[in-house]
Amino acid sequence: MEFFDCNCWFGLPQKRHLAPVETADRLLAEMDRAGVAKALVWHITQRECSASAGNDFLAKAIAAHDRLAGCWTILPPQCGETPPARELFDRMARTNLRALRAFPSDHRYLLNRVTLGPLLDEAVRAKVPLLLSVAKGTDWRDVYALLAEFPDLTCVVCDHGCWGTDRQFRPLIERYPRVYIDLAAYLLDGGIEDFVEKYGPDRMLFSTGFPDAYHGGMMLALRHAKIPEAAKCAIASGNLERILSEARL
Amino acid sequence: MINHTPLARAFWNRGRVRGCPVYDMHGHMGPYSAIYFPRGETARMIETMDEAGVAMLCFSHHHALTAPDIGNAPAIKAVRAYPKRLRAYCALNANYPETIRREVRTFDRYRDVYVGYKTLADYHGIPISAEPYKPAWEHADACGLLVLNHTWGGSANDGAESVREVAGAYPRAKILLGHSLHGDWDAAVEIAREFPNVYLELTAVLDDRGAIERFAEGAGSDRMLFGTDLPWFDPHHGIGALLSADITDADRHNILHRNAEKLLAPFVPEIKAGR
Repeated sequence: MEFFDCNCWFGLPQKRHLAPVETADRLLAEMDRAGVAKALVWHITQRECSASAGNDFLAKAIAAHDRLAGCWTILPPQCGETPPARELFDRMARTNLRALRAFPSDHRYLLNRVTLGPLLDEAVRAKVPLLLSVAKGTDWRDVYALLAEFPDLTCVVCDHGCWGTDRQFRPLIERYPRVYIDLAAYLLDGGIEDFVEKYGPDRMLFSTGFPDAYHGGMMLALRHAKIPEAAKCAIASGNLERILSEARL
Repeated sequence: MINHTPLARAFWNRGRVRGCPVYDMHGHMGPYSAIYFPRGETARMIETMDEAGVAMLCFSHHHALTAPDIGNAPAIKAVRAYPKRLRAYCALNANYPETIRREVRTFDRYRDVYVGYKTLADYHGIPISAEPYKPAWEHADACGLLVLNHTWGGSANDGAESVREVAGAYPRAKILLGHSLHGDWDAAVEIAREFPNVYLELTAVLDDRGAIERFAEGAGSDRMLFGTDLPWFDPHHGIGALLSADITDADRHNILHRNAEKLLAPFVPEIKAGR
């Protein structure tokens, strides 16, 4: 079983963090220690400093590491901070940034058609995934409102919380066929098994939330989940590989 | 594979390890208003425990914490159905002082069930040091009982200040800091160092990378206890986090079973006999 972590970050946050990981090299060393093969990453500067500067910073930081793919943090195009969609996707392809991320609360915009219509329409057409963290810069109302306007968007809902979120994410899974959930904070006992029994294994993506959380927690939980081995492999890496391969950047 | 120690390899390969039984010192049971539990009922929880090698779970029933009308009866029934696998904390709610006095009076009828008391002060809105809890604290102090407290950093009800108050006032009670003053990690370490009767319980700490190492270094792994809030969190997740943390296998044995075995020996005959 190969692990492809869809939700981890690196860099030094502005506030004190228990155990930050400063560089891509350090992140890779920690992944090696745990046995995580690949990761789809973002950099803390994209959220806390500047999305634009952070996108460039991330692209340079991962350029030498083919086990790391990155996420481009989007901003509303009206202020001239984000290129038109096709130009953006070309830049992403050149720099191995293969998915989008948004932090609308932190970056003070509304995640909707008025603000981001042309960009997200193109993301739908090109099947470029958008990752949203419910713990970092988005909330459930944002996610529900966005998907009502873009029902065919490829959207990964991340960090959805350890305090019981099934009632919040399951309606999205049932309504929107290209919505996925990550595992970083899905600690619910029997949750993986229950989800897979009801929805199959194709809508769930392995992640750790590293460096906020340890790599090994979700690795061991998935390894010993009572689901078929093929389902574990799909969740561990297969689903994310498929989603990224479908994207036409 | 997570890490490269013998214990990590064993858990990775088999999911449970004969030489490393797990004692989960912070569990619950039954339905809870805010969360859907696929495995919240007693028999399903025992299945989970079997899968992860959890030898014993010490818990308080959700009903006892959230429904004063029902109280601890479901916990008593569950422990008596699975006496080798379960023990309960007698759950207290300080909004009903008369029930606390009654629980203390009748505690000895349930010596086969209870290992001590459980407080959930933040949810109930009354500090753990408040007057209504006093009979239970005095009882725990007199008899060396365990008291598992939900504790959270910054809380006026069960934050560092309240914990210091009870830890100093009741030195013979074994005070378990559920969630280890979550977020107020330095205070948790300081209190564990200051009060030898205080233990750091790791439910909801195990998904905060770096806290385990800080506790092991500052307070010592002999003062740390494994917990999951079962049926909230998958024990394999917690065990995997411990295997990932930068601590030794000896530390992991302390956290997963040795410390709990010492605490539970007076209450569980099989442990006392060295099972």
